[in-house]
Amino acid sequence: MTEETTTTVRAAENVPRRTEEPRRAGPGAWLGLLVRIVGALLVGGFALVFVGTAALVAGPDLLASLDDPAFQAWRTVLVAVALQGMPFLLLGTVLSAAIGAFVPDRVLSRLLPRNPALAVPIAGAAGAILPGCECASVPVAASLIRRGVAPAAALAFLLSAPAVNPVVLVATSIAFPGRPEMVIARLLASLATSVVMGWLWLRAGRPEWLRLAPAPRRGEGGSRLEAFRRGLQHDFLHAGGFLVLGAAAAATFNVAVPPSLLQTFAGSPWLSVPLLGALAVILSICSEADAFVAASLSGFSPTSRLAFMVVGPMVDLKLIALQAGTFGRAFAARFSSATFSTAVLCSALVGWWLL
Amino acid sequence: MKRFLPAALLVLTGSALLRVSLLSDLYLRYVKEGLRPFLIICGAVLLLLGAADALLHLRGTDADGTGHPEHDEGEHEDHGHAHSGSGLRAAWLLAVPALLLLVAAPPALGSYTVARDGSGTIAKRTTFPPLPPQATLGLSLTDFTTRAVWDDKESLKGRTVHLQGFVTPEPGGAWQLSRVIVSCCAADARVVKVEIHGVTAPAADTWVTVTGTWRTATRAQPPALDATGLTVIPQPTHPYRDTPPSPQP
Repeated sequence: MTEETTTTVRAAENVPRRTEEPRRAGPGAWLGLLVRIVGALLVGGFALVFVGTAALVAGPDLLASLDDPAFQAWRTVLVAVALQGMPFLLLGTVLSAAIGAFVPDRVLSRLLPRNPALAVPIAGAAGAILPGCECASVPVAASLIRRGVAPAAALAFLLSAPAVNPVVLVATSIAFPGRPEMVIARLLASLATSVVMGWLWLRAGRPEWLRLAPAPRRGEGGSRLEAFRRGLQHDFLHAGGFLVLGAAAAATFNVAVPPSLLQTFAGSPWLSVPLLGALAVILSICSEADAFVAASLSGFSPTSRLAFMVVGPMVDLKLIALQAGTFGRAFAARFSSATFSTAVLCSALVGWWLL
Repeated sequence: MKRFLPAALLVLTGSALLRVSLLSDLYLRYVKEGLRPFLIICGAVLLLLGAADALLHLRGTDADGTGHPEHDEGEHEDHGHAHSGSGLRAAWLLAVPALLLLVAAPPALGSYTVARDGSGTIAKRTTFPPLPPQATLGLSLTDFTTRAVWDDKESLKGRTVHLQGFVTPEPGGAWQLSRVIVSCCAADARVVKVEIHGVTAPAADTWVTVTGTWRTATRAQPPALDATGLTVIPQPTHPYRDTPPSPQP
């Protein structure tokens, strides 16, 4: 009980803990600790008995369903998406924590033109310098906004970075040998989509949709390195949870939607464009690999395969989950649906022009 | 206890990554080979982060509360997230893939994925280098199927070939020799398969080498093989790499 009062007092008056510390060592504190430990053991014991009974009753059925091939494939895909996203997510959170801890305020916004309408295309083109797939760009875009970059420009960067960087473009040219127009079309359509979305945010976006988690405060006793460490840990854990959520959703669709369903739509050139766009959303393939999958969708028109490659890095289930976690659900829903429509439209136009 | 949750999740995830990438080849069931160094680095960094966090907390409780004011702040921030209640609520989910990888690593994709794949389309190729003149050839399934479907000169005609893959049973007793090919991670799996005639199938997902000749008459997809021999082999380390079988005795 003593401890509870101590905490309340400290929270209310913001008394430094240092002065409270000696009082904790009294016998009352030890008794309180003992009570807590016994309580925890009791609760834990009940939980164990409950889980044990449940396991004994439902165990055999549960074990059998664990061996179900669909559930096995689900677990494999879930683990695969999470595993391959994690290094890139860490890269993104390291960058974002570094921007948060080491880059002084206002430096980034000074690098970009003051006029946001001009900053958008520049930020979109700057996406080419972040090599990696889409998991890395979400935390980076969030920290850019926190550091004072216009949201419209940061969002253009968020969309273009996974699609127009050299790694992805080289992968695309390998997947479509002898067809450089596919690479150019992908570059143009992706850039166009990100710039249009940035401008759209300038015109129609509302600041209240963006609910950024406050950055872990820096300074105040802690060194910059400590701020970096805390920012990194917080961002990775937070975004990592949402990455797993998105991976689970992608795995569910991967196992639940029969691939043969696609072939029925292959014949219709106009329907197949949004259809392959939607497929890119539910499959959540990493932007470095989606060109190979697009190349294997041989029954479909080049334009619809372009839509697959333009939509995939910008909107997919794991990205929607990551964005919902970082920017809030209201933002993710609006932004993703608007981006999807814009990306499909841009791919259709660029495909009609080039392919 | 709650203070150690972030550290525990980081250590758990980090050790899971290291377990499948540094200490074993299990990562090959999920992602491409080239990702290994990144997985190792990522695992090591997460492990260090978790250890650092745990150490700072431990020192904070032991050494006169020097570490406390900051950490308390950190927790308040977590609770202050406007959009999702607590920043760490979603982080719990990281334990799911981590525990799966540590305790019960899911198997590589197999016959279930192949059987569901309705398309199995074979990408077009126009130039085919001449096949070496040996009596029996080891071919990858991709090479075999592409030649069977697209080679106008029918370079496979009359040749005895070895093919390697796993068994996918079909309804009605027929079966396919199949492979799953992955470009980045298991979510982008593609399927390649050859229909086998003449030998009975072992259990689903058994890895085998099949010897036989191309059934020329049909240009159907998937191509078919009249088999004369079958050997059961252990699952290769790279389950998604479609390599030709090594020369057989």
